Amino acid sequence: MGYADLPIAVVPHPFGAHSRERIRALAEQCANDIAKLACGATAQGAQGAATSAEQTREVEVAHDLDSINLLFRERRWADGLPIVPPTSERVQRMLRHTTRPPQEVIATLPPGFGAATTELIAVNAVMAGCDPEYLPLLIAAIEAAAAPEFNLQAIQATTNPAAVWLIVSGPIVQRLGMNAGVNCLGQGNWANATLGRALRLVLQNVGRALPGDMDLATHGQPGKYLFCCPENEAASPWEPLHVEHGYTREQSAVTVVGAEGTVNMNTQAKDANELIQAFALSMPRPTANDYRFGRGGPWIIISPEHAECFRAAGLNKAQVKQRLWNESKMPARLLVPADMRHIQDLRRSDLGTVTPDTLLAICRAPEDLGIIVAGGPGTHSVYVSSFGVTRAVTREITGAI
Amino acid sequence: MSATIRVLDPTPPYAPEGKQQRRTLDHLQGKVVGFIDNSKPNFDYLVEDLSELLLSKHGVKSVVKRRKRIATMPAADDVIKELAGQCDLIITGSGD
Repeated sequence: MGYADLPIAVVPHPFGAHSRERIRALAEQCANDIAKLACGATAQGAQGAATSAEQTREVEVAHDLDSINLLFRERRWADGLPIVPPTSERVQRMLRHTTRPPQEVIATLPPGFGAATTELIAVNAVMAGCDPEYLPLLIAAIEAAAAPEFNLQAIQATTNPAAVWLIVSGPIVQRLGMNAGVNCLGQGNWANATLGRALRLVLQNVGRALPGDMDLATHGQPGKYLFCCPENEAASPWEPLHVEHGYTREQSAVTVVGAEGTVNMNTQAKDANELIQAFALSMPRPTANDYRFGRGGPWIIISPEHAECFRAAGLNKAQVKQRLWNESKMPARLLVPADMRHIQDLRRSDLGTVTPDTLLAICRAPEDLGIIVAGGPGTHSVYVSSFGVTRAVTREITGAI
Repeated sequence: MSATIRVLDPTPPYAPEGKQQRRTLDHLQGKVVGFIDNSKPNFDYLVEDLSELLLSKHGVKSVVKRRKRIATMPAADDVIKELAGQCDLIITGSGD
């Protein structure tokens, strides 16, 4: 958690399932542990952190790909896939594409609070296979992910399957040859893939969110390897995402979203009203964090075919958001009793007494619902539910050389 | 071609930048203990029991209990300031 000597008393997991009597018994031991720890006993985590201070910045290894990958595997510096060796030469070549000094701290990333310098970001980008000119985009993504409202601390450490989705918009999409069309969230495009992968490596290596260590996702999800696509501006009836956030069309920006995953919404609807109805029926889910916590930001990725229906109807993006927000409200009666009790406890301050008839909104306000147009031909749009306690953050991509 | 190659470590050195190091206490007698309930299921019961035990068996003078609205968000700044101002030791929970 960023504190080498934070004293930690441990009670067995799953604590939420214990009986009242069991808790009372555990408290006896826990109180004794707290007394010892508060008065000077060494915390379990202290030694691990001290050891990491002794790591060197360069490592010598046999000059063959197998040995290099074995080293990265043993030190848990990779994501489970082979990496491109981050030699000083490759990293220097990448650093020539940004005006940011190599030792500038772009952000301090939780849960380990490691300093993400320009150079360290470049090291991880090389490992991911990024072309050198991708670096400024990745730096902006790190800045966005570190914004407090994104809640990266929770996203990195949670048991939920929370991935960080990168949305790129602006002229840089063409310049880097990104894919906003057919299979834009799938395999096949170098920039989409390696940028998404590089972000994960930075979050893991610099933020120290190692699976089973400080990343405690119950299952995780494939989007935690990489999750990146640009907006399909050419197919959109609306202003580009970065323009919606106050930038000019000539600027480029990256948006980070704390995303649970993707859900296909296949509908033959050919008019805007039916489309909104189809989407709004697909969004409610009694076990979704968005409805439970009410402090997230879910997204809809509208396909070009579906976007044409909104263009024909003359609906702007704000109107679509407003209608989706209204029509996707979910009655609390869909929750099982245990979840009903949980939400009654959690939401008392903003909803008052939650009853079976209470309508739960998917997020605080219509503007917290994100919309982009992306993808290729087909009657599919995508619902991306969020982590539930996070807001998307957009940052301009600057410092490119 | 040389037999070895040097590659860069992709992790940062440990540096507790801006982090205040903890102070240890000599004893708990007469101390004020603060709790930040993380709002996870059952943690309120643990806070209740720990409070009783620290008061009755460890000589703690008083406890101050505050609760986060959602586990995945930090405690409010005013809560942190309030507890930091009056407590000798603050206990919170993490995990499930």
